[in-house]
Amino acid sequence: MADAAAHGHEHQDERGFFTRWFMSTNHKDIGILYLFTSGFVGLIAVAFTVYMRMELMHPGVQYMCAEHLDKGFFGGFISSLSASLPGECTPNGHLWNVMITGHGILMMFFVVIPALFGGFGNYFMPLHIGAPDMAFPRLNNLSYWLYVAGTSLAVASVVSPGGNGQLGSGVGWVLYPPLSTNEGGYSMDLAIFAVHLSGASSILGAINMITTFLNMRAPGMTLFKVPLFAWSIFVTAWLILLALPVLAGAITMLLTDRNFGTAFFQPDGGGDPILYQHILWFFGHPEVYIIILPGFGIISHVVATFSRKAVFGYLPMVWAMIAIGGLGFVVWAHHMYTVGMSLEQQTYFMVATMVIAVPTGVKIFSWIATMWGGSIEFKAPMLWAFGFLFLFTVGGVTGIVLSQAGIDRAYHDTYYVVAHFHYVMSLGAVFAIFAGVYYWIGKMSGRQYPEWAGQLHFWMMFIGSNITFFPQHFLGRQGMPRRYIDYPDAYALWNYVSSIGAFISFASFVFFIGIVFYTLRYGKRIEEKNYWNEHADTLEWTLPTPPPEHTFEILPKQEDWDRGGHDLPTLEEWADGTHPDNAAPRKT
Amino acid sequence: MPYSWQNFATTGPGGALGAPTVGEEAHLTLWPHQSLTRSGFVVFIGVTTGLLAVPILSLLGSPAVWVLLGFFALVVGALWWAIMANVAARHGREELTLSETSVHISHIPARGPALEWEANPHWVTVHLRDDGPVEKYLTLRGNGREVELGAFLSPDEREGLFEDLSRLLR
Repeated sequence: MADAAAHGHEHQDERGFFTRWFMSTNHKDIGILYLFTSGFVGLIAVAFTVYMRMELMHPGVQYMCAEHLDKGFFGGFISSLSASLPGECTPNGHLWNVMITGHGILMMFFVVIPALFGGFGNYFMPLHIGAPDMAFPRLNNLSYWLYVAGTSLAVASVVSPGGNGQLGSGVGWVLYPPLSTNEGGYSMDLAIFAVHLSGASSILGAINMITTFLNMRAPGMTLFKVPLFAWSIFVTAWLILLALPVLAGAITMLLTDRNFGTAFFQPDGGGDPILYQHILWFFGHPEVYIIILPGFGIISHVVATFSRKAVFGYLPMVWAMIAIGGLGFVVWAHHMYTVGMSLEQQTYFMVATMVIAVPTGVKIFSWIATMWGGSIEFKAPMLWAFGFLFLFTVGGVTGIVLSQAGIDRAYHDTYYVVAHFHYVMSLGAVFAIFAGVYYWIGKMSGRQYPEWAGQLHFWMMFIGSNITFFPQHFLGRQGMPRRYIDYPDAYALWNYVSSIGAFISFASFVFFIGIVFYTLRYGKRIEEKNYWNEHADTLEWTLPTPPPEHTFEILPKQEDWDRGGHDLPTLEEWADGTHPDNAAPRKT
Repeated sequence: MPYSWQNFATTGPGGALGAPTVGEEAHLTLWPHQSLTRSGFVVFIGVTTGLLAVPILSLLGSPAVWVLLGFFALVVGALWWAIMANVAARHGREELTLSETSVHISHIPARGPALEWEANPHWVTVHLRDDGPVEKYLTLRGNGREVELGAFLSPDEREGLFEDLSRLLR
């Protein structure tokens, strides 16, 4: 029989640096590892775009010249950073293609999902549901290191022998055959392996998250009492589980087509390249929601905290996330209206796509209703949440435009599409990441960021990113196609403006890196458990700041997380308007 | 409620538990909290497998289906195994049997041998300690040892159990 222990276990963190960060099985440490790694990969992927915007700033090709190829790897790299005279530069389209491919693959698989799902999801989902750790801590460690290995392969693929006798593969992140099956060298194979590893990492992570969420919630926390962020992570994990095996299958077939003589997608062997597009987009569209859903969760908590109100319409918010996830699986072919589908198919995909605007609208309006009548405080996280709402709504509206098969014929593969998906994914999701960073950095590190710096970062990024991407709508409407190294003079003005915006955004990102390291080193120490206000009411705010190594080994009590409407008005107070929170009464 | 009494010998006034009389036994089973129900597992696996089949439907007739099916089977299998492994790993339990002449506790962990303790109920005392590893730490003292009971329950549940046991072991 277990003999009684006289005293509680004393937990002293005695792990050395190597043990803590390289062999970690602790969900909080792994979350932090994910955040830092994705930030670093993000810097690489953003550097690619800055280089591309330098090239696109003026008509003609100035930086990506074939002449640099003769100067060797480093010499060529150095000379590629300064502008060449028009007569001395033969455009190197392959380098351009490698840049867009690298940027896409890194951002889609190795930056945004690891930051939101791996980083914040690992750190805060178990805390929100009162679980002591993830269900499988060592599997969690494996997921992280698979992600690192995948990242290494992805970066290696950029500098490995590829097509056109040069380094890297330039086929676009979607890896469409026959382009991807005919690309020379092994760079393409490295990219495929990178996506495989990232997929394995995500699937293992998703299984871990799902098991944790389903079976390790605190006593009394039924499904519809779970905080919205934890819900968003669960729905995301579920989407990963449903979508990633499809991608893994698709790229495995690419690999065998490339190396083992199969002909799944090779027309000359009886294969069907359009089939690949169907499979890819069956994964690719849910991928968009995999990227954005955890952001929805973060924004819900930030908006509620800084409006000093409980989030409006909790239940519709949860169902909207489930509906967005479910609908995301039945709209994939709106990415391929131009491949020659029947009119009936196009009609179906058009209508189904437009239906997604309904649950998305439920979320947007619920956030606005949360703010309505609230006592709004514009601290940095709230600014980012506001920016998110604006940018995501703009991106959503252009999405409705693009969902029309007829209009899409004009806009397909133009800069209008580039503007659209950067508004929803890069700006929407990235603004949610920054909202999360400023909201939780104090909790995670025990030190608070300087408020002015967070606000300056927001305004630089908000202005910069809008200057970058809003003019791209105009370019798309003028007819400028995506994925080209050069353009006619007619497109010069808005490309120039867009490049200026990209440089401002990049400056703000560099500033952000400075803010993070300043905060971790010199930020003001915080002692309070809850340094925002009582409307930050999830379980992490009942823990010390920063949280100890082990949390919730003793399960939390229901009153720790379930306010049960205690501070909300009675029906009479609500009708009289006498309660300070002018919020609707909660059902008991 | 992760503990339950079976076979009360007698019930006291107002439905309260009473001490068992000669030849009768009371049983108490305690188990750690798990938030996933059996039907919840069935629903989750069912919906997931159903949605995984959607791309198969649209690709029927293509050899690509076989490649995808392999990955789907892997994922559903891994998910099934993971949830079951977690349920099993958290499935330890404790059982208490109380008769007029003996109180016996078995601590049955998810893995490994059970731990047993037995004492004479006349000499056993029940304690709710504030200095234990958990809040409201419930222990029984007797037969020269002090053993814990229901350390995995919530503090409120241990308090309720303390009242039940105090009444029974009076």
